[in-house]
Amino acid sequence: MEIKHGLISSDSHGQLCKDAYTSRMSGAKWGDRIPRVIEVREEKFDFPVERWIVNNEIQRGNVCNCPTAMGNRGYYPQRWEEVPLEVYDPVNRLKALDRDRVDAEVLFPNGPGGTFFYGDAEFEIACVKAYNDALAEFHQVSERFIPLAAIPFMSPIETIVAEVERAVKAGHNGINMLGDPSVAVKGQKNLSDPFWYPLWDACQYIGVGIHLHASAGLAGKLALPQWKGYTRRQAHCVSTLRNFCTATQIIPYLIFSGVLDRFPRLNWVFAETGLGWVSSVLEACDNEWERRRLWTEGISTRPSALFRRQMYVDFWFETVGIELREFIGVDNILWESDFPHITSTYPNSWVAVEHSLAGVPSEHREKLLFRNAARLYRLS
Amino acid sequence: MDLKYGFVSVDDHVLEHPEVWTSRMTRQRWGDRIPHVERQPDGNDCWMIGGHRLALPEIAVAGEKNRSLHPKRWEEVPKTVYSAPERLAAMDADGVDYSVLYPTVAGLAGETFGKLDDPDLESACVQAYNDWLIEEWANRSSRFVPQCIVPIWPMERTVAEIKRAVAKGHKGVIYPASPMELRDVPHINEPVYDPLWAACADLGVPLCFHAGASPRIQLQPSETFSPPVADAFRGIIRSVSSIAVLANFLFSRVLYRFPKLKVVFAESSLGWGAYEIEYADYQSDADGLQSEGYPLKPSELFQRQCYFSCWYDQNSLRVRRYLGAANILWATNFPLVTSSWPNSRQKIDVGFADIPEGEKRQMLWQNAAGLYGL
Repeated sequence: MEIKHGLISSDSHGQLCKDAYTSRMSGAKWGDRIPRVIEVREEKFDFPVERWIVNNEIQRGNVCNCPTAMGNRGYYPQRWEEVPLEVYDPVNRLKALDRDRVDAEVLFPNGPGGTFFYGDAEFEIACVKAYNDALAEFHQVSERFIPLAAIPFMSPIETIVAEVERAVKAGHNGINMLGDPSVAVKGQKNLSDPFWYPLWDACQYIGVGIHLHASAGLAGKLALPQWKGYTRRQAHCVSTLRNFCTATQIIPYLIFSGVLDRFPRLNWVFAETGLGWVSSVLEACDNEWERRRLWTEGISTRPSALFRRQMYVDFWFETVGIELREFIGVDNILWESDFPHITSTYPNSWVAVEHSLAGVPSEHREKLLFRNAARLYRLS
Repeated sequence: MDLKYGFVSVDDHVLEHPEVWTSRMTRQRWGDRIPHVERQPDGNDCWMIGGHRLALPEIAVAGEKNRSLHPKRWEEVPKTVYSAPERLAAMDADGVDYSVLYPTVAGLAGETFGKLDDPDLESACVQAYNDWLIEEWANRSSRFVPQCIVPIWPMERTVAEIKRAVAKGHKGVIYPASPMELRDVPHINEPVYDPLWAACADLGVPLCFHAGASPRIQLQPSETFSPPVADAFRGIIRSVSSIAVLANFLFSRVLYRFPKLKVVFAESSLGWGAYEIEYADYQSDADGLQSEGYPLKPSELFQRQCYFSCWYDQNSLRVRRYLGAANILWATNFPLVTSSWPNSRQKIDVGFADIPEGEKRQMLWQNAAGLYGL
């Protein structure tokens, strides 16, 4: 892949077209359960709005989360025809990448799409396959799109592994994981459980990373009880701000679970959780490791060394973590635009980049902006 | 104030000894509900509080080589953790002038008695702790800075105890950051808590949220972790769980409404706070909160009224300006496993090596001296 601008977004959101599922899932078999867009009435609006519906459950919130792609920045489209082609059509989306001078972007989901928990495993995997096939088409249009596969959490591990292998063949370059699958799916195992070893083994063998995005499904758990006195914007600000609470806990969790020692070439990527907190969490892990002599408890490698061997974090607005980059690991830092979400640096990503990287020598700049990502995703 | 070492440790813990409550609460009235230590059939001791069983707290014998061992029976507990004279010696050994005290059995964040369903029992337990801390610690030496715990609800009781305790000499108020998780009380952002903020602001004592008050926002260690690994994990998770507490508090509007209120995030550590403050400024802009009555940036609000307390941090000191050197306090965290005791001075010498003398003084004692009126 040609690097023209020297900037790769490790966290953007790929919206699927509104017929992505209806055109791929059997109408005879799934009928009205298939994810699609329908017209509904909402009290707040004096016109019929459109919403996604999955398994006959209307997905509250907007029909597409793309406020930075709108002419009126910050506006959330209420009807599908308002959604810009540059958000869900891969050919047109390349224009947005060019406008922002970004070479490539890693595609996390834009709802619905990360997970499909609607009661039964058979329906889940049918949705997952449709999602993975549709998102893979972005990569088939251009290698500048780096899609991440959804996985069928409710299936046996052999089925999960088989779907990941299938998705990777179709063009996916990693999987999107939950911070604690046992919280989301009754009876599912947490990340330290040997249940997942075949998946870790397969991903290590194929060479694709495990990705956790923002709260990684733990937003409702690692938070104080919601206060009803906040307006929507305030509540959004508070919940977005605390999302990195997940990564600060999952990183020590993975380190102390021994999973990194067991799968020493498996990469873990934490998206949209920033950098500035990382060195203090690593210092805390090292501090505890020393004080409690945890090498005698099977954690043979120093936690910060494990992190630098196998973990990645990213930034988009900040300067704190850039100042601390050498305590985090200059080879472990990626950049993200978060297009087309509200916090996104689009379409002025380079302004944000220069703000964050003022005074950083070019060798480090290049690593942070594209070389680390190119290595991680094996872009030739 | 009298400074020999130039260090006020703002986050240390006393361990309540078995007679704290039994000698101050009448058996006639409270019977077995008085907090007390009981020997179990397996030979280990545990605390019994209002009928609930609580294992002996993880008090490390700070300074021991192997900190994964901790006492199972009361007689194994070292005196430095519950006896004032011994504690003074431990402070001298570590170069600490003053020590700001938090509880242990009463909850690292003062949460234990808030879970009791009998408000009278809650008040009696709280008062006994507060009295003990004055009688056996503060009265023994002015180098101890006592902070009171309070009944979490109703506010009349909370405020009455704050006034009583401060009159007796307490210099700070410990309150669990998420009382609504302890029992059925309103969300902490509700204006019904205003008397609490007002009392602290008016009396000029800081309100202290110690990390760990909300177990719900801390991931549980995996059942596959060995006990020392699980303990290490809990220790790390406790401080970062305050991320959610700070996120809420920066936008709850309490700080706007009580500009004289000072808030300490105890056992927070530093690095994630610098990031969260920078992020809060960025995200409140992105979400357009200026238009919703947030006249100050989160960083301005924080620097006007909030404090972080740190103990192991070295690298993150480089980014102290995001919080403000005037808003950072230092501690030994004695006698928790994570404590820097007895090598706090060496750790400080390394961590503060490149920091200008003026800022170093602020963080090591001046900020604390101002906050606690030493």
